[in-house]
Amino acid sequence: MQTTLQIAANGLMLGALYACIAVGFSLVWGVLNVINMLHGSFIVLGGYMAFFAWRDLGVHPLVSLAVIAGLLFLLGWGLQYGIINRVVMQPVLTTLTLTFGLDMIVYNFMTLAFTATPRRIVLDLGNIEFLGVVMPVDRIVAMVLALALTGLLFAVLRSSKLGRAIVAVRMDRDAAALMGIRVDRIYAITFGIGALMAGACGSLLAVVYPVTSSMTGLFLGKAFVVCVIGGLGSVPGALIGGLSLGFIESAAGHWLGPQDAMTIGFVLMILLLMTKPTGLLGKQGYE
Amino acid sequence: MAEPLLSVQGVSAGYGDVQVLWDVNLSVEAGRIVCLVGSNGAGKSTLLRTISGLIKPTRGQIRFAGRDLAGASPDEILRAGIAHVPEGRRLFKGLTVRDNLLLGAYLRNDAHADIVRDLDAVFALFPILKERQNQDATTLSGGEQQMCAIGRGMMARPQLLMIDELSLGLAPRMVERIAEALTEINRTGVTILLVEQDVLTAFELADYAYVVETGRISMEGNTSTLADDPRVRQAYLGL
Repeated sequence: MQTTLQIAANGLMLGALYACIAVGFSLVWGVLNVINMLHGSFIVLGGYMAFFAWRDLGVHPLVSLAVIAGLLFLLGWGLQYGIINRVVMQPVLTTLTLTFGLDMIVYNFMTLAFTATPRRIVLDLGNIEFLGVVMPVDRIVAMVLALALTGLLFAVLRSSKLGRAIVAVRMDRDAAALMGIRVDRIYAITFGIGALMAGACGSLLAVVYPVTSSMTGLFLGKAFVVCVIGGLGSVPGALIGGLSLGFIESAAGHWLGPQDAMTIGFVLMILLLMTKPTGLLGKQGYE
Repeated sequence: MAEPLLSVQGVSAGYGDVQVLWDVNLSVEAGRIVCLVGSNGAGKSTLLRTISGLIKPTRGQIRFAGRDLAGASPDEILRAGIAHVPEGRRLFKGLTVRDNLLLGAYLRNDAHADIVRDLDAVFALFPILKERQNQDATTLSGGEQQMCAIGRGMMARPQLLMIDELSLGLAPRMVERIAEALTEINRTGVTILLVEQDVLTAFELADYAYVVETGRISMEGNTSTLADDPRVRQAYLGL
């Protein structure tokens, strides 16, 4: 019983972070039809920024989070507006290749600048024990913030003017243009939001796990799996996908060992692709 | 004579290498209902898409309310006062009727209360939309979707409302109902440019018509005159 509860608690914590990792990736894929290979690097970059702000400047990660999110938004916005928008109407392979190339630049820059040494912010907030389940406080904080950020994005998309415009562009680009929506600007803002979510999530991750530049591919892979499980382009989809993956990995990690937990995630992705390629919450035929 | 509200002069346009419009001239005077009729693929929709900026004309002038709008972007053209209700309604799936209508007012910076007042005006014109305002817009019936699309166009407070394929796929009674609403909209001072395949409906509603054939204007005139023209009667009215 206690073991089950502990697995569930770990799964929830992991799942909240996975949802946060994937939600920006899913948004960009759904709205722009761009598979953003940079997403993992954005996450790691956010983690590094939080780490160095904490170690060298003494800034608490909860404070730097907002600044990092803002900077990553600007970076994402600039990349989309200046570079990716030029080819965004091309087939998906073109934009994938472009973001792959940009990812190589960012990834190698990070390795060069920060080395591959794993970095972690150690806050030492102690543990909380409840019903025999032990949870480190820093993990709980990271989980709550990850869920809050995901919820905030949902609220913005759901009930703001910007959110309506993003959904409109996603559903019908030409009709959105007829509403006076500047599609190129919405693309840049959406890509910026994707980067913002990645950066914020990265700084949360740095509080929980060691972060290193070689993890970019790992995070990107997680984002893929979550999108496939939950379905593309919706916040609830990313949340369901993230939590599912979190619970599965947590359980598999306990029964099979952590080295196999990730394999299970990818096997599940392949099974879902074969049986329900739209994901658990995804709908068919968006356009 | 005063300058017409919209004047299209010598406009050519197309998609890539395929030229669709050839030297099109058209003018719409303020306060009128003007229709474009012609068969499928004649270029009527392309003309509307060129006026609203979705396609850039390769040649020619488009003047609206004294401004040159050829080559302007869709948002500039909407801001100038031309709203375009596209063929097939093109409502946004996943958004409610209300959100779809609000998107029509996307460019407006006036007070929220003014936008809500216009929303109420649309609801007064099409009461069914008020009933269904929280429902996904694409779950409406075809006629209701057309009402929503027209309402969405009106939310921009346009001087000129362009409607593409008003009656396509709608029940005759629904067409009548929407035509009445358009007359009412026109009475409030909004000029209307209508694209319609059903010439009878178009001629009933509009007072001036252009006939488009293979990307060129082949005839124009008052609808009452055109309705008696033997060429129109034979080709479009089946008489």
